[in-house]
Amino acid sequence: VPWLATAARLLLGVVFVVAGVLKLPDPAAAVRAVRAYRLLPEALVGPVAFGLPVVEIAVGLALLIGVFVRVAALVTALLLVVYIVGVGSAWARGLQIDCGCFGGGGQVAAADTAYPAEVLRDIGLLLVALALARWPRSRLALGGHPFPEKELSRAR
Amino acid sequence: VPAETKSGAKRAAARKRIEEKRAAEAAARARAERRRRTVIGSVVAAVLVVVAIVAVIVVQSSRNSTNPNALVPANTADSGNVIVVGSATAPVTVDMYEDFQCPNCKAFEDTNATTLASLVAAGTVQLHYHGMAFLDTSANDKYSTRALNAAAAVVAQAGPTAFQAFHDLLYANQPAEGGSGLTDDQLVAYAQQAGASGEVVEQAIRDLSYGDWVKNVTDQASKDGVTGTPTVLVDGTKLTDLSNAGLTQAITAAQGG
Repeated sequence: VPWLATAARLLLGVVFVVAGVLKLPDPAAAVRAVRAYRLLPEALVGPVAFGLPVVEIAVGLALLIGVFVRVAALVTALLLVVYIVGVGSAWARGLQIDCGCFGGGGQVAAADTAYPAEVLRDIGLLLVALALARWPRSRLALGGHPFPEKELSRAR
Repeated sequence: VPAETKSGAKRAAARKRIEEKRAAEAAARARAERRRRTVIGSVVAAVLVVVAIVAVIVVQSSRNSTNPNALVPANTADSGNVIVVGSATAPVTVDMYEDFQCPNCKAFEDTNATTLASLVAAGTVQLHYHGMAFLDTSANDKYSTRALNAAAAVVAQAGPTAFQAFHDLLYANQPAEGGSGLTDDQLVAYAQQAGASGEVVEQAIRDLSYGDWVKNVTDQASKDGVTGTPTVLVDGTKLTDLSNAGLTQAITAAQGG
């Protein structure tokens, strides 16, 4: 289980850090991507477009180095639920947008929407995040309880 | 001897109890210390994250802010956001949101430009061009922005008719997406061909004089709810069938109503 948890941490960490970093270079595109969902009032579009990537990078880094793993996993799960709801609602309302999950975003041709794949991917990640929140102890983590060491000494 | 042993055993037991108690106290202290460190660590981390969020929001907002004093090209309408082609008395308005680098826009233009031109000439349709520039890449040297900036220079210098000619030239000669885009020299040449020549136009094209305006109209299009190109509105209703038949049908229907 500890090595599985490590794998989960690395997977989620890399996905979230990459997703966050890719949203930073083009602030105008980030704003358009958030606006394209047509869910938020204009005053909130900017803060969400600019703040969300920071949260993604923060929880991603926490997962990668292994501190506050349970909290980070829960925040990750929460974000994923928000994304699933957002993409699902865009799908249900017949909007033709790219999710903007890894930068980009905005409208695409009907043939280029990828809602099922986007939702499935997010649900998969959500399951991983929930499992990690349930069993957060892992190898190669900087913080957390000294669970692996205890097991090691017992093994010796 | 037995008494001594007994008292010795008692003493050993007492010592053991004391040791156990001390160990438990030490463990409790260690736990408390760990908890204290965790709390401090959590607070520091939370503060850092909040500071980072605020800082990034501020920085990105300033990077994304558009210049309210942007140079607006002359011969435009609606606070400079729209370039109007055709008669003011035309019964049908067609709004078009396009990016000069967008292949689907070229496809739409290839299919419908002739039809629209004849409807404009007949006084049936007034075209409202809304520029957008969101397909800038380093490979095309920000071609979306440079092309729309050049179009602004053309309309400012020579009016909507020249703009229409320049617009048609750019779509007829659209560079491949992912390619290097047209050069400024080519843009200047097409502007000249469209009827906008002279040093002022050339300088505006090379200096990106309407760069802030390009940002503003792109932002405005996004606020209009347009999230992609081409977006075509016939009398305010979004056209879903972008074929020639679809466009003609929608315009005829709008004319009837």
